[in-house]
Amino acid sequence: MANTIIGSTIVIDGEITGDEALYIQGTVKGRIALEESLYVEEGGEVEADIETQNVEISGNLTGNITATERVEIKETGRVVGDVKSPRILIADGAVFKGHIDMEV
Amino acid sequence: MAIQTDACVIGQGISINGRLTGDEDLVIEGRVEGTIALNNHLMVEVTGTVVADVEAVELTVRGTVSGNIAASQVVSIQADATVVGDVRAPRIIIEDGARFKGNIDMDVPLPEGL
Amino acid sequence: MADNGTVIGENIRITGHVSGEEDLTVFGWVEGTVELSQSLHVEPSGIIKANVSVATAVVSGVVVGNITASEAVELLQGGRMVGNIIAPRVVIADGAAFRGHIDMGEVDAPEASASSSRARSSRPASTRRQPSRPAVAPARPAARPAARAKDPAPAEPAKAVEAKPSKAEAEAKSSPAKSTKAPAKVEEVVAAPVKASGRKKKASAKEAAAES
Repeated sequence: MANTIIGSTIVIDGEITGDEALYIQGTVKGRIALEESLYVEEGGEVEADIETQNVEISGNLTGNITATERVEIKETGRVVGDVKSPRILIADGAVFKGHIDMEV
Repeated sequence: MAIQTDACVIGQGISINGRLTGDEDLVIEGRVEGTIALNNHLMVEVTGTVVADVEAVELTVRGTVSGNIAASQVVSIQADATVVGDVRAPRIIIEDGARFKGNIDMDVPLPEGL
Repeated sequence: MADNGTVIGENIRITGHVSGEEDLTVFGWVEGTVELSQSLHVEPSGIIKANVSVATAVVSGVVVGNITASEAVELLQGGRMVGNIIAPRVVIADGAAFRGHIDMGEVDAPEASASSSRARSSRPASTRRQPSRPAVAPARPAARPAARAKDPAPAEPAKAVEAKPSKAEAEAKSSPAKSTKAPAKVEEVVAAPVKASGRKKKASAKEAAAES
């Protein structure tokens, strides 16, 4: 099955829901709710609250993240917002501002 | 869709003005104005011009039709054709290159929730 | 990857405004508005419930909404669409379903000659059933039984064609035809739009007549 890819010139203003992996290279504003993995790739701009299973961020993300499994901010990633997830990884070089809640 | 080879032909030099009815295949190479009601296949050839409301079982247009069209089976608007008017039929085909302006009315089965 | 354009998978649903400068291929559901400088592909599983503005649109799935394309709109086999299309090139393949208006820009339509429009407008609707006058063309209707024998179907459509649209439609047809077609002749320059609107009226009159 085709993965969902939001290309670099695409701008989505609204809500994305679904249960398959989503790769964002473009711009998404609004809300994202996935029962799968979300990848914000380099160049990707996301301004949205996110509910998902896994997130991997190499681009820019502004908004609150709730993940049921894992959040990983890669070295090129930049996140402003609160993160709630049982596992959180922040790579060397990543930029992060916000609260972290690992449900301790 | 094939038209009978012995179909009635309205030749290029013929111009008809009025109401045209019939039960057999008809090929229009000339000009018809008024109304057409045919219980079979109507073919408007490249040289044909129809300025009329048309009812037929099947209609194939290679020429020009101006008027409303109702076919009980299929309307095929072919590459060289020009059609201006509303078309209603269960099957409607518009080929690339055809010129058309008007409404199209077919049954469109939509999934639930639309 | 961006070069391959954007893909909306089968299990993804987007609600809102989607815009961009690359191809968009939809296997899933997009609702709202779509604005692209490139092409939109709606795959068989794809559903678009949106007004769409693109260069080209190729539809094998479902579109509910209007499409404005700067180049072309193609409805392929299995494609289903309800809405209006504005595009210089429009293709509807056999096996596609469409309901709506198509506008391909200027389309030159032949005008009725002066004599015929007079003949049409001066004749009341009831003469549609009068067999005497226009016996010109089907001069040999029953002369060739072979043509009829080959296709046993016409008996039934015969009734449908003759009976269904006759009375109600004859009324609907004749009255607006008089009012709209005559002025369209006089003002040759604006003939196209006048006729177009006249047809719409005609169509709605037809529907109204059919409903009643």
